[in-house]
Amino acid sequence: MRITQNMLTRTLLSDLQNVTDKLSATQQKLSSGKELTQPSDDPFGTSRALQYRADLAQNQQYQRNVDEANSWQSVTDTALGKISDSVLRVRDLVVQGASDTSGPAARNDIAAEITQLIDSIKAEGNTQYAGRYVFAGSATTTQPYQMGASDTYAGNAEVMQREIGPNVRIDLNQTGIAVIGDSSSGLLKTLRTIVTDLQTNNGAALQNSDLQAIDTAVDTISNAQAVNGASQNRLQTANARLQELEQTTTQLLSNTEDADMAKTLVDFSTQQAVYQSALRAGAQIIQPSLMDFLSSN
Amino acid sequence: MPLSTFMGLETTLRGILAQQLAINVTGHNISNANTVGYSRQSAVLSPTDPYSEPGVSRPPQAGQLGTGVDVASYNRIRDGFLDIQYRAQAMKQGLSTATQDGLSQVQDALAEPSDHGLNALLQKYWSSWQDVSNSPENMATRQSLAQNAAGLADGFNALASQLSTIQSQTGQNVLSTVDQVNSIGGQIAQLNDAIMKDTVTGDHPNDLLDKRDLLIDQLSQLGNVTVTATTYGQVDISIGGASLVSGATAATLAESNMTSLTSGKLAGLITLRDTTIPGYQSQLDTLASTLITATNTQHAAGFDLNGTAGGAFFTGTSASTIAINPLLISNPALIAASGNGKVGNADNALALANIRNQALIGASTIDTAYSQLVTQIGSDTQQAQRDSDTANLLTGSIDDRRQSVSGVSLDEEMTNLVKFQRGYQASARAMSAMDEMIDQLISRTGKVGL
Repeated sequence: MRITQNMLTRTLLSDLQNVTDKLSATQQKLSSGKELTQPSDDPFGTSRALQYRADLAQNQQYQRNVDEANSWQSVTDTALGKISDSVLRVRDLVVQGASDTSGPAARNDIAAEITQLIDSIKAEGNTQYAGRYVFAGSATTTQPYQMGASDTYAGNAEVMQREIGPNVRIDLNQTGIAVIGDSSSGLLKTLRTIVTDLQTNNGAALQNSDLQAIDTAVDTISNAQAVNGASQNRLQTANARLQELEQTTTQLLSNTEDADMAKTLVDFSTQQAVYQSALRAGAQIIQPSLMDFLSSN
Repeated sequence: MPLSTFMGLETTLRGILAQQLAINVTGHNISNANTVGYSRQSAVLSPTDPYSEPGVSRPPQAGQLGTGVDVASYNRIRDGFLDIQYRAQAMKQGLSTATQDGLSQVQDALAEPSDHGLNALLQKYWSSWQDVSNSPENMATRQSLAQNAAGLADGFNALASQLSTIQSQTGQNVLSTVDQVNSIGGQIAQLNDAIMKDTVTGDHPNDLLDKRDLLIDQLSQLGNVTVTATTYGQVDISIGGASLVSGATAATLAESNMTSLTSGKLAGLITLRDTTIPGYQSQLDTLASTLITATNTQHAAGFDLNGTAGGAFFTGTSASTIAINPLLISNPALIAASGNGKVGNADNALALANIRNQALIGASTIDTAYSQLVTQIGSDTQQAQRDSDTANLLTGSIDDRRQSVSGVSLDEEMTNLVKFQRGYQASARAMSAMDEMIDQLISRTGKVGL
């Protein structure tokens, strides 16, 4: 093949251009630390990277949901614990008041103490988390109980749900009506009956129906505590699982998106060597020609 | 001998003149060593008619005597077959380069994968609904949802408007390329005319042919070109099925004339403008309208903080018009997060967040449909880059082969220079020898002993 000067120049220029292109791509990988900077670098990899990014965002959101639900249920747990303490104290007082040795005066004193305890139970029923009443059902902005004689429940019986995974929902709240009741049912009604029985000196009722009723109330409270505790356990498990998943997804995302530094550095120095030898070849393209050897005679 | 005494002088004079012309051709080659599209030329030397003509009245002599040399023609050294190959590749190169340029812009507009592309905005939007589901009573989380929804709508608007901009720029590019086609057509027609005038007088208009070939090379980058040789060295040219040059007349073409553009820059640009970008736009519009419809339907099923049923969440119907209902920005309490009108209930917020998991576009969710769009743009761009790399490589190597045939080699020209210079010198020396002989004859004959 006949070779001309212009062919040498064109080949050199196009080779230099190629090497510079590659060098610049590798340099971008090194400086950004990313293997994928544009979808065309690896279209399939990009779609996976987008999926992993979406998964990560969703996972982090579920972790926030779990944290939020867990805080809510911790507050619920503390309140239930205090209510349980009060109810157990009431049971002791009922046992004490039911004894035939207690006279009307002593029963009246006990009734007064129980009335105090009712208020403190209602106060627990008004427990708030982040400005929301945890025992008010879904009427979270309405205070469920009023202090004093009125036992009306202003909340509702709705059990709210939180999402802690794709289509995985968990019951969030214990409602006041189920745990504490109101003037016509549940714990509060029991307690008011006990107070009345104590004040009317109704020993028989105290010994039988009232004691049974308070035992039922104790069961209801511990049941609520158990449900709440089990739910918290579930949240903790979910949290651990979500964290594990986050780690795996982050790893997968990094494998897809991030540059393998060792490999990239080796590529870089190889390309640098090629670039330098291309430049050296370029410097020599201005070769001596026949003109240098022809005498001008 | 019945030969003129001075015949040798004429013979050597022809030698001197012919060598000089050959040196001029070498000089022309060297001057144009770096001229784009130049084909090297050579002076074809051939012996002049011998003395004498055969015939019955021919003077008696040993045979025919040579009378020297003349330049028969100046040849243009070029391989037409390589031109055809080069132009076929140049069409592909024009097509793939234009496609790659346009798609790279589309790809840059996506800004994926990153923390501020549409994917990230979608994730923020879905997460905001979940945040609202965690505390539906809280105005701050509602406000943040409204802002993130507005951000998502802005993201859709920005991408849609960038696609339209790229599309209209491509349209502008088509117009200026058509102008370029017409301008090249005009120049070729003028050259055809000049070439015809030279050819009918028997000349070889080498340099005009080079200029015309260069213009045809440029034209074949722009569209699929057919070149037909006609009479007197002229060529007829059609591009995209429309006749551009016929003899010495050039047509002024419009885009609509070129009905069968299959290759070249114009074909690439028109496909981008009419097919590729509108395809992306309609996918993006489907995404936006699906999001709008699904969100608004679900939003209307819920209740706001006042217990009234939700209104429209998004307004608009496409990626360019999507916007959040401005009422929700000014009063986030109107966001219908509740499933039953109670403030603490967030069933509707969860349902809205779960639109992300619903297969609404064929079998794809909004997220995966977007990721498919990104993947499609990515692989289209990758394909165009590959095509363009291949076309560049092939045009380069065919151009090398053309250069190998037609290019000026300085070493070769220097050798020719020496060769013709020596030829000139030797002819001159022969002439001197003749001169000395004649001098002997004229000045010295009859002077024996003087």
